[in-house]
This record gives sequence, C-alpha cells and structure tokens, in this order.
Amino acid sequence: MVIDLDKCTGCQACTTACKAENNVPHGSPEEQQLRREIHWNKVIAVTNGKYPRVRTELIPMPCMHCDHTPCVTVCPAKATYRRDDGIIVQDFRRCIGCKYCIVACPYGARSFNVKEQEEKKYHRHDPPPDRKAWGPWPFPSRTHGVVEKCTFCFHRIDQGVKEGKQIGKDVVPACVEDCPANARTFGDLDDAKSDVSRLLSSRGWIRLREELATKPKVYYLPG
Amino acid sequence: MNRRTFLKVSVVTGAAIGAGQMIGQPNALSALPVQKKSPAAEEKWVATSCLNCPACCAIRVKTANERAIRITGNPLSLTSEGKICPRAHIGLQVLYDPGRIYSPLKRTNREKGKGSDPKWTPLSWDQALGEMNQRLKSLRESDQPHKLLLFSGLNTASSRDMIDRFAGAFGTPNLVSENGLDAETEKSGNWMADGHYGDTAYDLDHTNYILAFGADLLESSRPLSRFLRKWGKLRREKPNRTKVVVINPRYSLTAAKSDEWVPIHPGTDAALAMAIAHVILSENLHDAAYVNSRTAGFDAYKRLVLGQYNPEAVSKVTGIPPESIKRIAREYAQTKPAIALRGKESIAWPGGSYASYAIFCLNALVGSIDVPGGIVYQEKPEFKDMPRWVEDAVAGRGKNQTPLDLHGTNQFPLAEVVTNRIPESLLEGVPYPTEMAIGFNSNFNMSAPGAERWDRALKKLPYYVHISPFISEMALNADLVLPSTTYLEEWGYDHSPAGAGFAEVKLKQPVVASQGGARSITDIIFDLSKRLQGTVAQSFLNIGDHSEGFVKFRTETLMPWKEWVGKGVWRGKAYEYKKEKRIFNTPSKKFEFYSGNLKAILTKKGNRAKGDLDFLPHYQGVKFLGEKEKYPFILLPYKPLMAMENGSQNYPWAQEIFLPMQGIGWDTLVEMNSETAGNLKLRDGSAVWVESPFQKIKARLKCSEGIHPQVVAIACGQGHYAYGQWQKGLGVNPNDVIGVDYDDLSGQAVFFNTRVKVNKG
Amino acid sequence: MNVTFSKMESKSRGFFILTATLGALSLAGFISFMISYIQGHQVLGGGNVIPWGMPIVLAIYLIGLSAGLHILAFFIHILGRKEWIPIIRMAVFMAVILIFGAMVSIALDLGRPEKFWRLFMFFYLNNMTSMFAINAIFYSCYLAAASIYLMTLFAGNERLSKIMGMVAFCWAMLTHGGTGLIFGLIDAREPWFSALKPFEFIMAALTSSLALLVVVMFVTFHFTRRQSRKELVISLGKLVTGFLLGLILLIAINELSHVYKPGREASLFMLAGPFSWQFWGFQIFLGEVIPLFILFHPRLGKTMKGVVTASALVVIGVFFERYYLVIAGLAYPQSYFPGKIEGIYGAVGSFPLTATEAVMSVGIFAFVGFLFILGLKHLELLPVDEGGE
Repeated sequence: MVIDLDKCTGCQACTTACKAENNVPHGSPEEQQLRREIHWNKVIAVTNGKYPRVRTELIPMPCMHCDHTPCVTVCPAKATYRRDDGIIVQDFRRCIGCKYCIVACPYGARSFNVKEQEEKKYHRHDPPPDRKAWGPWPFPSRTHGVVEKCTFCFHRIDQGVKEGKQIGKDVVPACVEDCPANARTFGDLDDAKSDVSRLLSSRGWIRLREELATKPKVYYLPG
Repeated sequence: MNRRTFLKVSVVTGAAIGAGQMIGQPNALSALPVQKKSPAAEEKWVATSCLNCPACCAIRVKTANERAIRITGNPLSLTSEGKICPRAHIGLQVLYDPGRIYSPLKRTNREKGKGSDPKWTPLSWDQALGEMNQRLKSLRESDQPHKLLLFSGLNTASSRDMIDRFAGAFGTPNLVSENGLDAETEKSGNWMADGHYGDTAYDLDHTNYILAFGADLLESSRPLSRFLRKWGKLRREKPNRTKVVVINPRYSLTAAKSDEWVPIHPGTDAALAMAIAHVILSENLHDAAYVNSRTAGFDAYKRLVLGQYNPEAVSKVTGIPPESIKRIAREYAQTKPAIALRGKESIAWPGGSYASYAIFCLNALVGSIDVPGGIVYQEKPEFKDMPRWVEDAVAGRGKNQTPLDLHGTNQFPLAEVVTNRIPESLLEGVPYPTEMAIGFNSNFNMSAPGAERWDRALKKLPYYVHISPFISEMALNADLVLPSTTYLEEWGYDHSPAGAGFAEVKLKQPVVASQGGARSITDIIFDLSKRLQGTVAQSFLNIGDHSEGFVKFRTETLMPWKEWVGKGVWRGKAYEYKKEKRIFNTPSKKFEFYSGNLKAILTKKGNRAKGDLDFLPHYQGVKFLGEKEKYPFILLPYKPLMAMENGSQNYPWAQEIFLPMQGIGWDTLVEMNSETAGNLKLRDGSAVWVESPFQKIKARLKCSEGIHPQVVAIACGQGHYAYGQWQKGLGVNPNDVIGVDYDDLSGQAVFFNTRVKVNKG
Repeated sequence: MNVTFSKMESKSRGFFILTATLGALSLAGFISFMISYIQGHQVLGGGNVIPWGMPIVLAIYLIGLSAGLHILAFFIHILGRKEWIPIIRMAVFMAVILIFGAMVSIALDLGRPEKFWRLFMFFYLNNMTSMFAINAIFYSCYLAAASIYLMTLFAGNERLSKIMGMVAFCWAMLTHGGTGLIFGLIDAREPWFSALKPFEFIMAALTSSLALLVVVMFVTFHFTRRQSRKELVISLGKLVTGFLLGLILLIAINELSHVYKPGREASLFMLAGPFSWQFWGFQIFLGEVIPLFILFHPRLGKTMKGVVTASALVVIGVFFERYYLVIAGLAYPQSYFPGKIEGIYGAVGSFPLTATEAVMSVGIFAFVGFLFILGLKHLELLPVDEGGE
C-alpha cells in the first residue's frame, strides 16, 4: 500500500470506513483511558518544532504487513502467518492470546480483545455470531482473549480474485476505496506496471521505523 | 539397529522436520477449515444522500437483511467525485442510535430547565398532532399567526421547502434557520461586491493557489467531501501542485496540511487582506485588464488601500512580519489562477461583513472571477415549481409583521436571519410576545453563543414543540416532542450548497423502513396542514400529498422516476465560465469595489451611513467582550471534523477519534500556547477553568505549539447533557462562555471576540 | 558425608493454619482466574500498550527462582562441595514446584488458557522461531529433568544423581536464558533489546534462588525445630554476594551500553523516567545496595540474621527487577515517527493493578507455597538434625 501524505487530509475516513467494513467494535471513554480501544487503522499526529515554526504530521497507520514480520516470528501457535500474496493473516482459531505479537509489533497495529463478543459494542451483529463457525474470515467469532488487526480486507481481495477482477484497480481495501483524497493506493508491489509501483518511483518514499528492518509494505510519500 | 543409532536417527529426523518447518515452506497445517456459510443475506445497495452536515453528499447504502451495514459514496456525484467524508460513514450509528425516540412524547413536569426531568409520557401521533393543531388553529383564528416561531436546524432541502411553505401559508414571518450562526458574513461580503447574497463556490479543479483566511477547509468547509477530494487532486493529481496558505490564529488541521501557516492576531484578517491588496496594487501585480473592464469603484478602493494599509502598519495590527505579507501577496498575485477564501474564523466578527468583502475583493484584483480555478457562481437546480401557496388575509397580515429576529430592520439591514437575536426577543417579548414555537432538528442552545439565554428564553415559551429523532438539548425544553426519521429512512431531495458551480440534486429515499413510529418532517407538515384546513390545507394540495409524492412532484423535471431512484444523482449542465455580462447583480452590472448595493440599502435604512468608508471594504478594528487586563486571552471555538452537526454526538465512531491533531477522543481540551501556559505555571493535562465575563467552564489543558500566544482554542461538539450514553457529560461546550455580539449588517452571530482568563482548576 | 532425610512432622497447629491459609489463598487465586477466564482480561490491568501483566512478571520471576537452584548441583557433583548436600533435596523440590508454578502462571496469562496445549505441539503446530515455543521445550524438558533428578536423589543413586544433576543444571540455564531471550530478541522494544538479556536473567536467577533458599531454609528449619547450620547459611550468603555483584555488573553494562549509543531515549526513560523510582528505590537500593551493605558489613555479614535479611531483600529486589523490566519496559511509548506523538498514541502506558490481578498473583505464590508445605509433609526432603551448632 502507498499512502501519499501530501494528499492525505487527516480526515480519518479510513479509520471509520474500516470500522464499518470489518465490524470492528468501538470503544468508550474508559477503554480509551485503559488503552483497550480497537483500531485496525489509526491516524497519529506527530508534532515537531516550536511556535510559530511548528509542523504536525498526520499519519494513517494500518497494519504494515511487513515482509520481515516481527509478529509472525514470535507467534508460538502459528496463529499469525504470511500468505503467499504477502498479507499477514490472523487466525483466531489458533490464537492462544499470549500477546507476544502485540509486544513485538513495532507499529502498535495489533489489539487484544479483552471482552467477550457479546459485551463489546459492534455496529451490527455479524452473521454468524455463534461459535460454531470457526475460521478466520469473514467476521469470525471474536471471542475474548485473541488478537486482531488490519487484514488489508483480504475478504474483498479473495472475492475479487475469484471473480477475476483486477486487484488494486477494481478491488481495494475499504480504507483505500473510501479515502476521499485518493491518498491511499493498493496493489501488487511486484508488478512494475501497477499504480503502487508507479507511485513509488514518482518521488522519494519512506517507511516507518525503517531502522528495524521489518520491511513494511506500507509506503509513505512525504508531504 | 542399536539404541545409539535409533537415537541418532530420531534426533536427525526430528531436527530435519523442525528445520523444514522453520525455513517456511508452504505449510499444510495452515490450510484453513472450510468457512461455514451463513444463510445468504439479502444484500442491496440504495442510492440516497447524507445529512450529517449541510453538504448532503450523495451516498450509497448497503443493506443486508433489512439492516444498513455500509455506506460509501455515489460515483455519479461529481461534487465530490463520488467521495464522502468520515461523518457519512457514521450515519450507520445515527440510524441505529440507541438513544433515539420512536414515539411522540408529552412533558408532564411543568418545570423546565437544565437538570429537571421532563417526565415524558408517550402519546399517539393523532393526539400529538391534534394538540398542536388546536394551538395553531387558535393562533390563526385570533389573527396572530406571526406569534408562531419556527426553528430550522439541519434539514433537507425538501424539508426546508415544506417548512417555508408552511410558514408562508400559515402567515408567520418568523422562520429562523441556523444560518445566522454559520457564516452570513460570507454572503453579505459577496453581495456587496457582486449582488449575490449566498455562499461562495470555487472551481477547485484548476486553482493553483489558495489563500485561506480563517477557513478550516479540511474540517468544516461546505461541502467538506468536495474539499477533501479536491485536496488530493490539487496537491498531486495535476501538473502544478497547488500552494495553500492558511491564515488562522490556531494551527488547525488544515494549516498542518498546507504549505504555510500564518498565525494572525484574531479578528484582524480584514487588515491583512487590505495590506495584501496594498502590495498587489503598489507593485502593479493586479490583473489590470480585468479590473479595468469588469469592475467598478476601483479608484476609491485603490485610494483607501494605498493610503491606509501599508504592510508595516498592518504588521503591527496583525502580528505578521511585513516581509511575509509582501511575499504572500506577490505569490498570490503571480500564481494564476489563485483564490482567496474566507472561513468563519475570519469573518464571524463585528465588522465581519467588511472583512468578508475585503477578502473577496482580492479575487477580483487578480481576475479570479468566473474563470477556471477561480470564484464560480453556483447554478440552481430546475425543480418543478410549486404553485404559490394560498395566502389569506390573516396570513398576509401576519407576514407583514416585524420579524422576531429583526432581520431586515435598521438594526440588521442586510440580514436574512439573525438567529442569535431570538432569545432577547423571546425574553423581552419584543417586538411582540411569542405564543408557540416548533423546532425542526434545531439545537440552538448548544450551537449558539450565550447558550444560557436560550435556555431561559425557551423556558419562557408557552408552548414549544420539538421535532427530531432524539431528545436534544433544545428538546429538553419542549412541551411536546415528535420523533422524526433520520435521513436514511425518509424521502427527500437535496442540492449541494455552493461548491461545485454546476447544479447537482441528490435524492433521498428510505434505505430501511422508518424505525419505530418515526415520521418524516415532510409527512408531519402534510398532516398538520390537512388538520388546519382552510388556506393552509389548500396550499399543500396537488404537490404530492406525502413525502414520496412530494419528491416525485418536485423532481419530475429532472429525469424519469425509475432512473432517478436508481441513480440518486442529477447533474445540471456543465458550468459555463466568463458569464461576464450576466452575473453581477449590482447597479453597475460589474464587480464593485465600492458597493452600490450597500449604499442603496444603508442610505434608506435609518441613515446609518456616515461616509464613503461605509461602502468600501475596510478593517473596522476589533471590539472584544471583556477587558484585556482581567481577561488576557481570546477564546477561539472551532468545529473539528468529527463534530456531527445534527445536534447529537452520541456516536462512538466519531467520539473515539474526535480530535486527531491532539490524539484523543471523548473529551474537549483547552488548547493554549506552551509558553503562555508555562508562564502561568499551568501543567499540560491538568484541569483548568476557562472564565469569560459571562460564564466559566472546566476542562483539561493541552499545551500546544500550534496556537497564537494570546489565544485559547476549544473544540465544539461536546458538552451534551440531554441524552446519550456516548456523549452525556463528556467534555464542555465553549459556546457556554461566549458573549453575544453581532455583525450588524448581516446579523451574523459573533463567536470569536470573547476574552477569557484561564486558572488552575 | 552421609545425611539422612525425613519428612516433616506435621501435627502442630501452626502447620494446619499455614496450610489452610495457603490453600485458601490459592483457591482465591483460582477463583479470580476463573473470573478473568469467563469475563475476559477486562478485569485485569493490561491493555494494548502494556499487554503483559502480573502473571507474566510472576512467571519469569518464578522461573528465575527455580533455575538458579541447580547451581548447587553443579557445586555438589562437579566441585565436590559436600556441605550443601543436606539441603539439596529441598532445593530441587523447590525448583520443581517453582517451575511448575511458573508454567501455571504463564497458562493463566494466556487470553485463551484452554488452548495452552498448543504451546506443547513442538515442531508440529508450533512456530519454532518463537521464543515462547522454544521456551516451551526448555521448560518441559527442564521440569522433566529436575523431577528425574529429584527422584534420583530420593533413590540415593549417586552416579545417576550426578548425571541428572548436571542435565538439570544445563536445562535450567537454557530455560532461564531462553526466558531472557523472550525479551532480549525483541527489536521493537528499545529498553529490552540486548544480547546480555539471557545472562542478566541467569545471573538474576542465581542470585534470587540462592537468596530464596537461604530464607526458606532458615524459616523452614526454624519452624520444624531444626538447627540451621551457620556455616551453611554464611556460605550461601557468600554465593549470593558473588552473584549479586555479577548481576549489578551485567545490569550496569546493559544500561550503559544502551545509554552510550545516540538512540538513548528509551534507556533514559527507564533510568530517569516517570517509573524510575521503582528501579532505583526497589531494585537497586532495596534489592542490591542494602543487601550488599549487610553482606559486606564486618559484623552483620557474619550473622545468620544479617544474611537472611539481606537475602530476603534480594528476593524482593529481584521481583521488582522483573516487574520493572516488563511493565516499565512496555510503558515506553513506541516511536512510530520522529517527533512528539500527540495524545494517546504517544502517552506513556499505565498499568493499574486490579483486585482480580492482585488476588491472582498472591494466589500463585500461595499455590507454590502450598505445594512446598505438602512436599515437606509427604516427601523426605528435610535433613535430620544431627545436633549441629
């Protein structure tokens, strides 16, 4: 994914669209105090400088789907793993809730479910909400005690692949589709003709915490 | 095989298997179990439009098994190229707000006021409307229709048309919208120059330079989604990257995203605009061809600008170094096309009409009027005209009474509405006492300055009916509450506010059946009109009889109904630029630097004009409420993007990310310059009192580098106390401490001239 | 030298009260675990910033206490120091129940404890690059080895005891080194990332377990009316001193190396940040400075009471070392982008200690204590008093 920080308006439509698309539960004032709110995509504000020469950067951060994932390395139960197409998947069925992945993630992309599904506040009941249908997707039984994170909307991608659609053009994650400024682009990094490749060659890009060499697959074009 | 060999073989085999696993070969174990399919959910997409702010963007809503689950944009809408802002997504929570009401409610505790429990009892629609009808009828029968006051908050165009019609047929001149709290000075400033008393439209696709005075383009502009989409386009989707300069006492989100932030002393934007004009004119950078052929009053303007607004002098007033003023002026004039736009923070001041005028004139100076990349003139959609309502003598007399908000009187000569004047009129019974009021989705005792007077005024009203989907703060004072539908459950039509230039009409159709017993405002008015009989009932005949019919009637001229329901968006013809001879409604038929329109009105109304200066854009000086020694700081309330405008904030998705620049939600912060806070020995995160000469509120302090040292900024949108698990008791409302002041010409309520002091809490 | 071992007499009232109390506290801990199991971790103190709480702190603490005890095996069997033979059975038993308690503690920390068995699917369902998975191997093998060692001690088989003792010692070192690697290999967490972590942990283990042994021995012998041998205690105290100095050295090197490099914000947060009072007050002052003062004191260091007091302080201090490492280490806000991150994403983490978590923690300790008392009663762990000094 490529996020153009110059085009990004900091509106947080990505955060909200992701919540709607993936039925991510919302939090509460107490949960925010205790840092238990679940955000698959978050927008952070980073300030540098002093008045009047101040600069605040607004940076949307989904899961980076790193190529050298720290989280996959440390998951003991193989609950998180890298798919062939590069998406890092979280399998709730296997997750034992040890939270090692949350500790190891340098981007804070992962959230732990502290409450039972029935107690959390979703905007709709997922079909199915019962535990009988285990599996990672779509909208699986999110019991308490497991970890969840952004999935690059792989349910959309898998559906699109089945229907023969073009990933990155016809099928994109919800945050990419609903970004009003078209600041987010999704596609195949290995395809030299894709939009993401074109953007990455258009001007200098950065990735977050590059020094940790996690090779995140979310690139930022600075403003 | 002996034991040793066995051990060796086992170990090696085990290691090999283990190593194989670790090298990351495709792992059969990661094959996922087959996902059990849920019974096929019946999914469909419905085209409608949003109503979480006045932009009313076109959306498509996906429903599954009769439940709305997803909202996204409608690509047929070119206003925002099919994009929507985050508030549109939150519509799902508006529709399914657990705090909504579904039955008419009647107050049984006569004691009104904040903190007292109305003790609502439910009653049927028939009873409720019957009760209303009795009161309305008696007003008409006693020849006092003007004693009905109508409040209109955030409503669809179709609802507004219906409310208008009702006011006309009933015979009351008192229809007060929320416009007087928004940016009427933008309209008056425009009107003084070009004769259009309306919002400004900008051709954002082609502009190369944006000079934004106090405009939070990415947070509270209209239509917001258009600015969000065009921002991306302007920055990186065209060959020349548009430069954006934001002039604002606080480092807003817009300023953070723009190229330059100019921290101006509050209320001095007019001076800055005139100084920029000074530089442009003294260095001959203006578009002489345009100015000479299509403008009038230029000489008087030029004399004033060059005579009084040199950058050095203005620098002392605004706090901006003269070099910066000169540089910005030159950049603005030399980058074509450029636009200068205004936002509430620069023009909702006393004298704001002139500030608005001064800034607007900058566009004409560089020839950015009705050209690609400049100011454009919003076209209106061609609805099917409704027949004129039937007005009897009673209504005629009522309409001729002085309106309660005194708009158009000598006090507010240009005003179309003076929303914030109502409490005084109600409390003093001036120009006449009011008997009954109906509020349609209004919440003025939260959104207007001096909220406490609103509560007292509403308390004094003999009979108040409030119509909205939930019990808002204003509804707490009602005698009767009617549950209206949210925008996802009703029929209606909407058109974009000034934005794109070309006209666009959006359909509203129910995405789900109306929840519970809620009814749409259009249907309520049809029902009321029937009950009132006489000319009022006649006025509502033959226009559809109910909301769907009404929409069908009005939009007949646009396209066939079936196509309309499928598409949801109608677009007018492509915008025609350079309509030079036809666009100016001024005496000279040109863009006027010296306002003939204003001169005509002011000389008529009470002779308040003193000289030429009154018809020219100028800086009036700032009058603050509160003395500087006692109240050292200037309060700056602002509206962040996540503040919903429908009167409620009971939406967790909006609440948890409420203030992205400060990284928190669920709360309000008092934003103060770090150094200033340090001097006062106030610690970041501590509780502080913000006190004005009128009220005080308590909130958490945020020490910020992004704010003028003498300014304290507080976000609007919190401080609700009427209902709502996700909003009640959270944060504070800065409007509580703001005093009452006006821009006299337009009646615009002033939000930014209250001084405050900040103490440890 | 020939030592005979016996079971503890267990008829006194004190025994019953102690057993009943420990049992009750364990039960309370279990109940609070059931509460957290049913209601989810919302009843505990952690969140997404500090996801690990008291159970993990206790787990690593207990592993440390367990692993270090096997140094005695090294001394007895390899170096031939016979004076520790009287307490070796008790020590090894302590090691067994401590590692068992630690594994229980880890299981309690899991979000889904019923899936704990997945940690034991070595190479099959486990991702062996994960230190948790590797540690599962270490802990299991260590538990087995220590148990077998204990059994060989009961059997009195000297040759087997020597072999199993060394095997157990090796596994113990691997175990606690592995525990250290859980933290030391995580690059994302600045305060933790260090190659010294396994050695720091091992040194802390050696220090704390021997200190614990001193305290437990003293208390147990006192309550079972045995005479503690003064030389035994003093020499154990000398071992504690030595290892404590080693621990201080490793901590110092670790912190200094982190402070030396330009990216030192994380270390400065640990050393001088909002929680550093825990580091300096409890870990360093209470857990290291005062004990060293006592142990090096010409008079106090030679008394049993002095050594026991110092050891008790060391035990507490090392607990705070684990606590500080985990909690404060996680509280340091991650730096996603250079600059000041506003609001919650840049805020230092907080860890409120909820009642459920506190009761659960006390319950784990009580459970280990309960097992210890049962072991003393039913197994021949304690040396028969030969009328010592």
